[in-house]
Amino acid sequence: MRPFAGRKGLRHAQLQAVLAVAAIGAAVALPVVLVSVGGGVFDHELADVQNAGYQIAVSAAGDHSIADAHSDVARFSAISGVTFVSPVLSVAVNAFNATGSESPVLAEGIIPGQFAPTLGPSEAGLFPNPIPLGDPTDELHYDHGTYAGPATYDVLVSSPYAAAYHVQVGATLALGLADARSGATEYNVTGEFGVPPTILGPVGAFAILLPLSDLQVMTGYANGTGTIVSDAVDTIQIVVAGNIATNPGALQSVQNSIQALVPYYGVSSLGQEAAQLQSADSVLTGFYLALSSVGLAVGLLFLALVLLRRVEMDRRSIGIRRAIGLPRRSIAAGIVADGLVLAAAGAVAGLVGGYVLVEAIATYATSTVQEAAQLAVFDPVLLGEIAAGVLGLSVLASAVATRSALRLEIGEALR
Amino acid sequence: MTATRPPRIELAAVARTYGEGAESVRALRGVDLTLEPGEFVSVEGPSGCGKTTLLNLLGLLDAPSAGELSWDGRPVGARSDRERTHLRLEGVGFIFQRFYLLPTLTARENVELPMRALGVGRAERARRASALLGEVGLTARERAFPHQLSGGEEQRVAVARALANDPGLLLADEPTGELDTGNTRAILDLLVRVRAARDATLVLVTHNPEVAARARRHLGMLDGRIVHDAREA
Repeated sequence: MRPFAGRKGLRHAQLQAVLAVAAIGAAVALPVVLVSVGGGVFDHELADVQNAGYQIAVSAAGDHSIADAHSDVARFSAISGVTFVSPVLSVAVNAFNATGSESPVLAEGIIPGQFAPTLGPSEAGLFPNPIPLGDPTDELHYDHGTYAGPATYDVLVSSPYAAAYHVQVGATLALGLADARSGATEYNVTGEFGVPPTILGPVGAFAILLPLSDLQVMTGYANGTGTIVSDAVDTIQIVVAGNIATNPGALQSVQNSIQALVPYYGVSSLGQEAAQLQSADSVLTGFYLALSSVGLAVGLLFLALVLLRRVEMDRRSIGIRRAIGLPRRSIAAGIVADGLVLAAAGAVAGLVGGYVLVEAIATYATSTVQEAAQLAVFDPVLLGEIAAGVLGLSVLASAVATRSALRLEIGEALR
Repeated sequence: MTATRPPRIELAAVARTYGEGAESVRALRGVDLTLEPGEFVSVEGPSGCGKTTLLNLLGLLDAPSAGELSWDGRPVGARSDRERTHLRLEGVGFIFQRFYLLPTLTARENVELPMRALGVGRAERARRASALLGEVGLTARERAFPHQLSGGEEQRVAVARALANDPGLLLADEPTGELDTGNTRAILDLLVRVRAARDATLVLVTHNPEVAARARRHLGMLDGRIVHDAREA
């Protein structure tokens, strides 16, 4: 319904329409940003899980609380269908290069021969093959839990760290927990590895890779006096044979066998992790939408008020239409159509605005926020549902104005 | 489009009261009246005597607070709101003192509006609206908006709109009240002509004795009552 009002009234009506569209647009843009970025980050994490080269992960609550990692390798490897068992310990240490520069780095202790097969297709190309960390079994230095065997003192550095500190293969790097170089141990840089271009989560760009037993000794997670957790690691990643990896029943059977050996640790398949991620994503999406519904409620309340105001301004027009004999449904349809047009304009403005906002964050923001925005995924189905929801709610918002219009006394409206 | 047959309208002890309690206003007090099909009736009386209220009741814009109003022997109160609205759309043409054209529609669109509501097709609407505007002498002003028309032209568009669905009952509330003498005469001539051409009932509310003189039946109102009812031979 086109408004019946003077020029000033029309200007007011236009201003109100613009404000209503802006309010709904802002209300739509919020879920677009939250859901798109959240969905993108989730997809990235899910892809990480789905692209991993291992199928089962053993984990425990707290820091480095899986004990007896080296012996677990032997126990788990004995289970039928298990092909590789890779314990990983992650600890932040200090690195001192030859020029004396000190930098904290994320050190990952691994068993080289077991670690390489756990790398997924997207990660495998980032590491040298074979991984040049001396003893591929880490059994020599570990020496049945005595840690008395010969250590290789080999270390791989991440390419960002190598580039930042001009560390080359063949150089030495002193590593230790203390800030002083005097307490650090000299390692030989035997190679470099890359890091994924987009990093979210705890994996740092400045990282090093060294034999598990070396890192355990350096950080107090080996066996012996003063040890916090004996032969400790964070997680144990397990690779199974191809025919088992693709057979859920067989995979569950292997998982059960591992769980029986370590009933006090969590044993999950990556499928379960993916399901957990999906569940968490659903919760987050619901939370985002709930959060956005507050803005949406304000936008629709504004729309309801604008429509009500229009009815007030169009009293005479409505009275004329009713006097002529236009049915109530025609009057109601005009108001609902008004609401739908404003809501549709707001929805489009919100979708476009949200997209532009995400692109701006991805281009101009810094740090993790920018990286998260770069991962944003604009799901047309979800965005369509948001727009459809707004349109549906606009019908509800127009109910008050419609009721007011239909209750107008014709004679009164024409006075 | 077929012309709607003019109804026989009867009012029996019809009263209309606005508001409640001490602040209520009794606009009509026990009106008895019968309008035969095809009559040309003028309604005269001072301001606030109930002329417009009577017109609104005749045109089904309002309902009596008491008494009975019937069309062709059937009480209007027994009809649903939807029925009354449809009856109004098909059978009644209103002409208001202030024209009440929709300012965002052109002259032709204003005339087409009742036809649209009745579901007349686009081509037929356009053809008929053009013919009606031609009948009121506004062929050249079809595409003009109300603010581009003179008062006399606006009222002619309003007459054309009132005739859009070929109603049997034309109700004109002071149709010349805001017009000069020349336009008053022209509009009056137009109303007399279109009424005669369609044999429709025309009820015309006016303060102007010269306008009232054109009617064949004259009602005089005072304080919500009909105090004078005279037919010319």
